[in-house]
Amino acid sequence: MLSKNLKRMATTAVGAVMALTPAAILADGHYDGVVVNIMTRPGPVIAGRMVDRGKEFKAMTGAEIRVAEVPFAELFQKILTDWATGTRSIDVGVFASGWGVEYVSAGLVENLDPYIAKDSKIDLDDIAPFFRDFNQKVQGSTYFITLDGDFQMLYYRTDVLEEAGLQPPKTWEEYLDVASKVHGMDMNGDGEADYGSCIFKKRNAQSFFAVQSMAASRVQAMGTNEGIYFHPDSMKPKINNEAWIKAFEIYKATGEYGPPDELNHDIGDSRALAIGGRCALMIDWGDIGPLSIEEGSMINDKVGAVIMPGSKEVLDAATGKLVPCDSNRCPYAIDGINFAPFAAFGGWTGAISKASDAKVKQAAYDFLSYMNQAEQSNVDVTMGWTGYNPYRNSQLDSTAAWEEAGFSKAAAENYLGAIMESLNHPNMASDIRIPGAAQYTSVVLDREVARYLADEISVEQAVANIEEAWEEITEDFGRDEQAQIYALSLGITN
Amino acid sequence: MQTSRVSEWLDRHMGRLFLMPAVVLILVFSIFPLVASLIIAFARIRLTGGGFSVRFVGLRNFEKQFFGSEQFHLLGTFTDISVIGLLFGLLATLGLIWWMVLYVRAHFSVVGFLGRMITFLMALGLAWLFSATLLSGNLFGTLGTTLFYVFVGCGIQFLIGTALAYACSFQFRGTTSFRVIFFVPMMITPIGVGYIFRMMADTTKGPFSGVWQWVGLGEFAWASDPWAARIFIVVADSWQWIPFVFIMLLAAFESVPRDFTEAAELDGANAWQKFTEITWPHVLPVAATVMLIRVIEAFKIVDLPNIMTSGGPGIATESVSLQSYFAWRSLDLGQASAIAYVLLFVTVIICVSFFNLVVLARVRKAS
Amino acid sequence: MTKPAARRSLFEPPDIGQMATATKIVLYTVLLAWSAFVLFPIYWLIITSFKTIAAVNQGPYFLPWIDFEPSLHAWKELFVNDYRDTFRAYFNSIVISLSATALAILVGSMAAYALSRVKFAPNLITILYFVGLLALTGVAVGIYDVDWRVAAATAIALFFFLARAIGRLYQLRLQNGDILFWIISQRILAPIVVVVPIYMMFQSVRLLDTHLAIILTYTVINLPVVVWLMYDFFNSIPRDLEESAQLDGATMIGIFREIILPLSRAGLAATTLLVVILCWNEYLLALFLSTNKAQTMPILVAAMNAGERGILWWTMSAVIMIMIIPVVIMAILLQKYIAKGILVGAVKG
Repeated sequence: MLSKNLKRMATTAVGAVMALTPAAILADGHYDGVVVNIMTRPGPVIAGRMVDRGKEFKAMTGAEIRVAEVPFAELFQKILTDWATGTRSIDVGVFASGWGVEYVSAGLVENLDPYIAKDSKIDLDDIAPFFRDFNQKVQGSTYFITLDGDFQMLYYRTDVLEEAGLQPPKTWEEYLDVASKVHGMDMNGDGEADYGSCIFKKRNAQSFFAVQSMAASRVQAMGTNEGIYFHPDSMKPKINNEAWIKAFEIYKATGEYGPPDELNHDIGDSRALAIGGRCALMIDWGDIGPLSIEEGSMINDKVGAVIMPGSKEVLDAATGKLVPCDSNRCPYAIDGINFAPFAAFGGWTGAISKASDAKVKQAAYDFLSYMNQAEQSNVDVTMGWTGYNPYRNSQLDSTAAWEEAGFSKAAAENYLGAIMESLNHPNMASDIRIPGAAQYTSVVLDREVARYLADEISVEQAVANIEEAWEEITEDFGRDEQAQIYALSLGITN
Repeated sequence: MQTSRVSEWLDRHMGRLFLMPAVVLILVFSIFPLVASLIIAFARIRLTGGGFSVRFVGLRNFEKQFFGSEQFHLLGTFTDISVIGLLFGLLATLGLIWWMVLYVRAHFSVVGFLGRMITFLMALGLAWLFSATLLSGNLFGTLGTTLFYVFVGCGIQFLIGTALAYACSFQFRGTTSFRVIFFVPMMITPIGVGYIFRMMADTTKGPFSGVWQWVGLGEFAWASDPWAARIFIVVADSWQWIPFVFIMLLAAFESVPRDFTEAAELDGANAWQKFTEITWPHVLPVAATVMLIRVIEAFKIVDLPNIMTSGGPGIATESVSLQSYFAWRSLDLGQASAIAYVLLFVTVIICVSFFNLVVLARVRKAS
Repeated sequence: MTKPAARRSLFEPPDIGQMATATKIVLYTVLLAWSAFVLFPIYWLIITSFKTIAAVNQGPYFLPWIDFEPSLHAWKELFVNDYRDTFRAYFNSIVISLSATALAILVGSMAAYALSRVKFAPNLITILYFVGLLALTGVAVGIYDVDWRVAAATAIALFFFLARAIGRLYQLRLQNGDILFWIISQRILAPIVVVVPIYMMFQSVRLLDTHLAIILTYTVINLPVVVWLMYDFFNSIPRDLEESAQLDGATMIGIFREIILPLSRAGLAATTLLVVILCWNEYLLALFLSTNKAQTMPILVAAMNAGERGILWWTMSAVIMIMIIPVVIMAILLQKYIAKGILVGAVKG
């Protein structure tokens, strides 16, 4: 529905790939009668591609793939209640890997290590290190199969910036500067003034991801295992400090160059504006790239991507103050700027319920592996409507697939370059991956950000409130357990 | 002989047998969950592999709402009280005390006194809440927002619904079509209403964007302004529920016996007198009942703010139900139940007070 | 209160006859303005379902064929591409709404009839005792993992053993009005209060995601409405007929079925419509109790908010439209009863 042409093209591409695959991964029909129930968010995004691939999978193996969809906001608790209470109507949940830790710690998710050991097709080495070593794992074992690589990047209008004689911003200060200079220009030729920056700010949507993206490069400089949320040993929140305060302030400041009702915009609204050619700068997951070439887009070939802006100052955790970057504090800095691309949401990953029957579990694993294998996923990630973004290096090797999908060579190179840089960045910031993740970020952080953006409270109050509420949540779940899981989620193993 | 004894027994107890299914269903699906929910409200619950683990924490969930880190959320922010707030609070206190004194002087009974005492305390609490938050320039929490939806929303629905019903109770061409048209919004699912009004309110792509530009509000975003957002939700809620008030009151207006009004006409009463002295007293008991139903339903408002603003900007449009729903969504079941119980208490006290002190009193007076 | 005027038909509006022209103009203006306010959002809904994505995104277009070219893509999406989901949800909604309504009307009107005709005087203390025992049993089973058979047996034994004694000690009797109020007050419960335990309850008997679970829940939440409206309605029916039937030896069931129900057709129709609307549009409980097989239409509406890709306004409009149509048809069919039904019920309230 979103783009008929693309969809048609995609099916032919899949047909071609299948024709080229000499032997299907599994013998025919040996899963006859097996039904795998998958639950995820409403399609066509994420779910739609699983339905298509499910049909192929059934043709190959006989296993029926049923995809059930519930509204995004209810997904987390829906799967957890289903699995915890033993309802067993769901075999596979497809959700953010960050949520998954809670399922794993409740003992509900199948450990996939034995399955992977027997699987010759999955080729883990091809998966980008952050997803392979952090995002798919809990406590050193793989529990999730990545279907989608999520991290945010900065997108800019090449034509607008060129016209204004500006470079894409490298820090958030530059971002505001660029936004202020181009704000009010007509960017799509309709005679109306357009916006310097479009960043969703709606409550109970995605705004807490945006503020974390802005904070990450100020909080974390020592690599993924430094983490952006807590002091790993004491589990004290690392939030009531200058770095987060600055991030909050920047987030609010971007609103001055955005549409007037941005407080009620979620990512869908922001994307619609961006694709309509009304924004000079925006932050987004990988989706804008493929979306920009869909029919009806006003920004085809006019959008560039770079790694999320960084910062010249980084948090000194002991004092809570920002200190200038030096080679000790910021080992990965480039030209004195510390970057920390934030793996917001962590991407859609599949997990298998421990309670399902062995045969169903094997079939479920085979299906997830089938989705994940380069042959399938390298096609899927080039299509905007699937919602899948790259997470394998081979997906970025050549621009051929992307050009075939409709990118110009220059645009494809630019887009893939930005992804490559973010994806393999040693200082990539992990999304929160501990029990209660939803309460820490999507309830507390989100609410305080919203109140600050709506001028209900000052930024100091906001971070103080978050600190207090996070401490309460930590106490509720047990400080020691939380500290242990947090450390493991960051790969700290002492 | 056996059969006749059975049928005799059946006959004697038939009344109970008629009532039983309803009572059993309510006990199982309403009272049992209510008790279970209360238990959850005193605990922290976590879902685990074997079902769930329960840890009792006493009153902590409630304490957090009223005095702890969630106080601003449910009740509002308290800093200092302004002169107006103080004045209003004192006046309300005096008024309430005076009301109690009047009652005790007139006719005293223990049950009546206790019942009024509960109403008194609730009204006192709400009055001070009002003066300490809104009147003192502080923010109010979800409870204040809910009361705003209930009182302002139901007030508007009552006024417009009654006016429309009165207008339609005259006989003229086209009344039937008006009736059908006016009834339609009630049939739309509240979620749908939320989305429809989001389309209506879109200042750039919505049908009224031209109007917005014309009056110079093209840059104004209703969703970024707390009061505009709240009012907009009330507009959507009214759009949906005025039909209900309308249809009920229309029936009431039409049941006013014609000979009464005709007699008044003969006595030389004008239209206004006829309305206030004959029609309105006749309709009043129905009106009170209808409003009670509406108030009860209005306290539960959750779909509209959820769809239209997700509770934003900040927490400006969040209702108590929505707050509980958000807590539930992140699986914080203890908090969710505690918040829901607070809502239940406030609703019960306000509705029962309204029923006893207004509806019954009016009915007594009318008969 | 006054008795309904029997001389003229109940539903003949007071004939004001010669209104001044100015009054008429004002009246029509007000009513037409209100009709516009009511109808415009619905008109917008209808045209949105025929708009292309571009036509929705590029600003307000009002008139099909003039402003924009209507397209059937949203309808095609609903009835061709996703027809399986659409029809399943539609079918579920119909089955659930109709069954729940039928059940609620049956159980509710029986209770209402009993309350309006038979005098009950249950002992308050015995009831409190019963509820207390029930709660204790629930706690024992739910939290301390006592075997439910043991707990139930103990509770029943205790109840019968002590009920009479305790009941005799305190003679605080309830009346019909109190029972009625208790039933009606159930409507005050916000669904969010009870939804978690209800979920767990259905889970333990493996009924989640079935029609039965949703039907039962809807029946209960709508019982108060039925009892409330039907109680008033039954009270307004004169008792002479029943008394003479009783003399002829008719039983209560017989009277209820052959005299009362036919007489209350109007009230039943009005109540049915109201309850169907409430069931048809309910979202929160349906969301909890269904995962997949039993999903209803409101969930389909909510699912049209595809998050990252924005809201699929066009398809959503089409879904809302197909949700309204059956209710409107039903309302028109039942129209002549509704006014009368509500009239008697409400006026007597």
